[in-house]
Amino acid sequence: MADTTGRAASATNEIEIKRLSKVFWQGDAAFRALDEVTIGIRSGEFFTLLGPSGCGKTTLLRLIAGFEQPSAGEVIINGRQVAGLGPNARPVNTVFQNYALFPHMTVADNIGFGLRMLGKSAAVVRETTGRMLELVRMEAMAARKPSEISGGQQQRVALARALAPQPRVLLLDEPLSALDLKLRKEMQSELKRLQTETGITFVFVTHDQHEALTMSDRIAVMSGGRILQSGSPADIYNHPAERFVADFIGDTNFLDVEIVAVNGRAADVRLPGGGTRRASLPEGLSPSAGTNVTIVIRPEHASITDEAADFEGTVEDAVFFGTDTHVHLRLPGESRFTLRRQNTGAGAVALPEGSRVGVRVAEGGIQVLRN
Amino acid sequence: MAVTQHIAGQGAQPDAAEPPLAAERERNFWKWLLSLPALLILIFAASGPLLIVVVYSILTPAEYGGVVWEISGRAWFQVFFRRDIFDPDEVTLNWSHLSVFWRSVSLAFQTTVICAILGFPTAWFISTRPPGQREIWLLLITIPFWTNLVIRTFAIQEVIRNQGVVNSLLMNLNIIHSPIQMMYTDFAILIGMAYVFLPLMVLPVFAAMDKLDVRLLEAGYDLYASRWEVLRRIVFPLVRPGFIAGSILVFIPSIGSYVTPRLLGGGRNMMLSNLIELQFGQGRNWPLGAALALALLVIVLVALVFYLRTIGGDEEKRHG
Ligand SMILES: Nc1ncnc2c1ncn2[C@@H]1O[C@H](COP(=O)(O)OP(=O)(O)OP(=O)(O)O)[C@@H](O)[C@H]1O
Ligand SMILES: [Mg+2]
Repeated sequence: MADTTGRAASATNEIEIKRLSKVFWQGDAAFRALDEVTIGIRSGEFFTLLGPSGCGKTTLLRLIAGFEQPSAGEVIINGRQVAGLGPNARPVNTVFQNYALFPHMTVADNIGFGLRMLGKSAAVVRETTGRMLELVRMEAMAARKPSEISGGQQQRVALARALAPQPRVLLLDEPLSALDLKLRKEMQSELKRLQTETGITFVFVTHDQHEALTMSDRIAVMSGGRILQSGSPADIYNHPAERFVADFIGDTNFLDVEIVAVNGRAADVRLPGGGTRRASLPEGLSPSAGTNVTIVIRPEHASITDEAADFEGTVEDAVFFGTDTHVHLRLPGESRFTLRRQNTGAGAVALPEGSRVGVRVAEGGIQVLRN
Repeated sequence: MAVTQHIAGQGAQPDAAEPPLAAERERNFWKWLLSLPALLILIFAASGPLLIVVVYSILTPAEYGGVVWEISGRAWFQVFFRRDIFDPDEVTLNWSHLSVFWRSVSLAFQTTVICAILGFPTAWFISTRPPGQREIWLLLITIPFWTNLVIRTFAIQEVIRNQGVVNSLLMNLNIIHSPIQMMYTDFAILIGMAYVFLPLMVLPVFAAMDKLDVRLLEAGYDLYASRWEVLRRIVFPLVRPGFIAGSILVFIPSIGSYVTPRLLGGGRNMMLSNLIELQFGQGRNWPLGAALALALLVIVLVALVFYLRTIGGDEEKRHG
């Protein structure tokens, strides 16, 4: 959570983005697509920009690539200010959302394009292209045109084309969004494999939380042109700092509670039944006792218990989902609560509607939100 | 699973192949019926006149125009050769005709090249305007089409004649002291034709550019190509079909130009159409006119086939 500011460990940061803003003008109306974004992307990591449509992910990527110039702020790649440098002068390559393969060139010529533009000898181009074809398992299709291969294969070629010049950073703008689910899963592990094998820094854009959680070393959650929070997938999932982040990633219970006491990075909060529990505080928030805050409890962090319940609730319904059952409860004070029970098969206790049950939240399962 | 079932479902109906045959036959019938008007127009408006021209070219000229129904190869002979007036046995190449052929082909070719060179940046400029402005620019490009060709040609005359805009300007600026003779030269014809036919190049090239995905250009820049390399390796190959269409659209009317060489080239710098007109008018040699017209047709066809062959062969090599 310490890296939300992006200032940490700048020595090993491949990309350094400082107070970067982008304003689009439409006539007299200004639209702030990026609003003072600050983030550090570490060398060799799989970094994901996650956020809903229109939050500015593509804009941020295009500013890093050099397709757009910032309205304010700076981009530093490998310790070097890149302001004013065009895309052809930056050590980054992009995998476009629609692949943007050159339709008049063969697969091999597409992959070799960057190397040829860099003035590499024909032998080097041939050798590297061969290696790239092998890397993405497209050797058999080298002589085909992009129109003669499938979407998943085009995806691989786009990847190979961007990797061939061995950039320091690869920017990927929702590269998997056009693929069907099965292919998507396949390419997810393929991408991860390529990233590990090449050691190149990946900046990956997606609006799919599962993709982000499973593939990334670190995630930055964006909304409305800002980065709300960045951190490891587990960090983001278990310790969301803002309501938007908690809501966007996974299922969540929000409860309004009162702070009883503050204890450094943790606080005691009063739960609906009256009992108190320890909760984590987000970075930069130190509320005083007596203030009201919102807490987050993930459905799988709560369980039904007979003794030592944190609070009680009335069963509204229980929906069977195969591997688990979602139990919807009504808590005192009319708030609702969902918990998730693993279906272990044997001895599942029936939960008739209207029955009262005790709920226990796992240790470290309560997170206070900033807003 | 669903996909497999779907495919299996289709395969399970082998007898479904029967009805489409009848349906196909009926569809074919309608296709023919619907294309009948076009066929009739083609037969009567294109092939008919062509046939008449072919027949006239092998008849004998009547004294005051028209033809005498007597088969003769003289017209075709005259297209290429001439007999000495005093010694009918001495046959030489008809250089005055051949020079007209050469001028026509060469000027049409040069016009096409000029239009391509000017048309590319023009089309590029239009296609890079914001969507609202693009239509305005396209409209401006087509405005000359709304004006009568003769008037447009006179306008050019006004610009390039000895006391015209260009010469007066240069003389007033003391850059030259006596007017540059531009009127009644091949150069004048070239300017006139390039001006008149430029839109025919710009429009198809623009259409091809319009289909160009900007992301391809961005991908090019991203992969370290300079602006020039992006232009050469991505833009040019992808807008080629527009250039091919534009070249054909410019070359064909250029080689058959009548008004422009007549008004800007004067009587001397004739092109084929002027020569043909001469035979049907003052020359009173209809068969020769017809033969020249057919020669023009053959030149256009040969040029077209040659052009498409080289381009097509190229394409195959590049795509095959
Ligand atoms: N060239 C532009 N002119 C004006 N507004 C723009 C331009 N490019 C982007 N925007 C606006 O900026 C905002 C962010 O756009 P961006 O493409 O970065 O979103 P995104 O997060 O990539 O969304 P998606 O997931 O849908 O791709 C959007 O509201 C968009 O309308
Ligand atoms: Mg986007």
